[in-house]
Amino acid sequence: MKTRLLALAAALSILLAACASPSATTGNVPGSDPANDPSPSPATPPVEAPSELLEVDSEVIDADLTCTITAGNYPADTAPEAEIAVFDGYIDILKKQYPNVTVIPDYYHYTLDTYISRAVGGSAPTIFQPPFTDPPILIDQGLVADVHDALEQFELVDKFSESFIDMLSDDNGRLYGLPRDGYVMGLHLNLNLFEEAGLMNEDGTPMYPKTLQELAETGKIIKEKTGKAGLVFPASDSFGGWMFTCLAWNFGAVGENAMQYQDENGKWIINLTSDACVQALAYVKSLKWEYDILNADTTTSTWASCHTTLGTGEAAMNFAANDAVSNPTAGAGLAVDKFAMVPYPAGPAGAYALTGGTAYMFAPDTTTDQAVAALALLKINGLLPFVTESTEAGMRAAQAALRDRGGPVLPPVPAWDDEEFVAKQREISEEYSNVDMRLYNDYFNSLADGSITLKGEEPMLTQDFYREITRAVQAVIVREDRDPLAALQSAQDNFQAYIDDQLGQ
Amino acid sequence: MERTVTYRQSRRGGGKLTQHLSSWLIMLPSILLFAFFLWGPLAQGIVMSFFTTRNVSLDKFVGIGNYASIFKSQEFWQAFGNTVMYTVWSLVIGFLVPIAMALVIGETTRGKGFFRTASYVPNVLPGLAAIILYTAFFSAEETGVFNIILKWFGVERQSYLTEMGLVIPLIVIISTWKGAGATALIYMAGLSGINPELYEAATIDGAGIWKRVRHITMPAIFNLGSTLMILQIITVFQILYEPMVLTKGGPDNASLSLMYLMWRYAFGGRIEFGKAAAAGVIISLILLLFTLLYTRVNRRKNDWEG
Repeated sequence: MKTRLLALAAALSILLAACASPSATTGNVPGSDPANDPSPSPATPPVEAPSELLEVDSEVIDADLTCTITAGNYPADTAPEAEIAVFDGYIDILKKQYPNVTVIPDYYHYTLDTYISRAVGGSAPTIFQPPFTDPPILIDQGLVADVHDALEQFELVDKFSESFIDMLSDDNGRLYGLPRDGYVMGLHLNLNLFEEAGLMNEDGTPMYPKTLQELAETGKIIKEKTGKAGLVFPASDSFGGWMFTCLAWNFGAVGENAMQYQDENGKWIINLTSDACVQALAYVKSLKWEYDILNADTTTSTWASCHTTLGTGEAAMNFAANDAVSNPTAGAGLAVDKFAMVPYPAGPAGAYALTGGTAYMFAPDTTTDQAVAALALLKINGLLPFVTESTEAGMRAAQAALRDRGGPVLPPVPAWDDEEFVAKQREISEEYSNVDMRLYNDYFNSLADGSITLKGEEPMLTQDFYREITRAVQAVIVREDRDPLAALQSAQDNFQAYIDDQLGQ
Repeated sequence: MERTVTYRQSRRGGGKLTQHLSSWLIMLPSILLFAFFLWGPLAQGIVMSFFTTRNVSLDKFVGIGNYASIFKSQEFWQAFGNTVMYTVWSLVIGFLVPIAMALVIGETTRGKGFFRTASYVPNVLPGLAAIILYTAFFSAEETGVFNIILKWFGVERQSYLTEMGLVIPLIVIISTWKGAGATALIYMAGLSGINPELYEAATIDGAGIWKRVRHITMPAIFNLGSTLMILQIITVFQILYEPMVLTKGGPDNASLSLMYLMWRYAFGGRIEFGKAAAAGVIISLILLLFTLLYTRVNRRKNDWEG
């Protein structure tokens, strides 16, 4: 199992990076943290750090390092006190190891539209977390700092896989960030609705759909028996296109039917009118008009709102990944034993699942000293591929906090392929596990045994591509008479013109 | 003699200078603020529209390339058409509502102060908060407020913001709900300037409420209404955050406005500030036309009053 996991980690690191070619574009990327509160730094709450962190023997590592950093993604005031205490515990250890480093917590959660103004205006946090689609454009636009020297000081550069170096570096090979973790798309389930619909096996596992056809039928049963949506589907902004591409792969929009490819002259061609794409869009249309299993607010639903819809029991299934399991549970109140995650349903042409992830990057005015201090904080968090007493404590504290606030503690989908680090992550997640792994095993096994093919995002102008396809998805959802081929033809013509204009081809 | 004239001219000139200097000094803070916050950015935006950009810095001069790219894009024409529709619907729905409110409140004899205040309250709400409030009202789910009300009367739940034909009128209704009270106050102020003896005389002559409104009130607020109508067109043409929050421009771009398209160029994907600036210039030119119309109407009004 350990070997398979490492092989998976290596494969993932290639695929995850492949999802963000230098030409990939950005936006409010599905899969990124949704919250964004630009409020000033919060006051430190009077809650003691978790025991895991208090036990750490923190000797001074570098008393000469003198700087101030702002750390993004600090939990909101409304977050559970334990979660805030973990964050503060990390900062306390950093202060002991680097006594002249000051950390200013910042609530900011990255989104591209809010980040641009912050970066240009000089108020971006020293360290923040963009999804894998964004590093190329952030580097290209000069909106992030070169932290190659700091990464070298931390002896991290040699631990990067080639694919991540491609994604996170400029033309000169200088690195601008590092990977945090990865995700693979699957299907989130609300077991309360599965129970109500009589779709549970005797052993307490759900009769979940293994194919897209079964998904439509299962959703219909749930809708009929419970009155709730079988599937919550985000089709606003660029989310509809993001969802569609993964569906289309399963209908065969890969290889010679790929949605984007280069012809013999190197020109990028948009191909949305293949039979595979038309069938995929017809499938989406059937979910609305034939099976009637979609949530009513599909065209205004976002990635974040879908987790709430599932968590509050307004829908039974949601296409989502392992990095978002705490959203419907800890975030929206679904009990952890009433939640399951299963593999992405296979289509008529195979079983494909989207893979992506999150990176750490740095504000454009970050100095090497600040980058070193930020990396030290990540190391204490247990997020860098090192296994020490303090990093182990950091991992334990994070998993304990997640468990305490009601989020499922699951095995990692690692972004680093360091054998010792991945093994330690897995050991600690098992130690703090609060779930019945039978509700997740099929998902993780499908990644490890290769029964599902992992695929990165479409390479060219990705977010704009998604937004254009979203229009076609919305068109067939709001209009029963809209022909999928005509909708896709329109999207193809528009985007081909756009990409020709953008690339000057 | 010649010397004297020169001296006098000089003195006269110096006097003017002194007189002008104090005027300029009084204007100076405003000029500096306008230059820094308005004219400077305006000029920079025009310059930027002829360049490609790297974040907000100018990169390569592309002439009218950004404009050509925008005019070639189907999205632009869709957004333009939608924006015109926003304006038309705002005139159909939003223009008459404040007048009606002002007339009704004006005719109210008891609780006038309460109704006047109540009509203004939505305007006090922060814009985004009001819009987010309406996402709960117009949700197509069973939990949507309007659908809950419909359920009380046994009516099936309805879709609102997901309907292509409904989305713009609904957004205009929301905007009207928020802004009509403030406009109604202006009309009320205008109505208060009408000589009450005219109404008394008309009443004595047997005129009913409709005739009083038609022959006294309407002519009295006609000029005010013309001005407010043009200002409303200018404001609605810049509609941005309502579709951004409520629908993200959907479904199928049915609620995408020009301003939202401009925002998307800058922040929605490729970070194309040059193209966004070009879109801004195009919008400004359209609004300039309306402003000229406004100035013309305003001048005509002043001429009448003069």
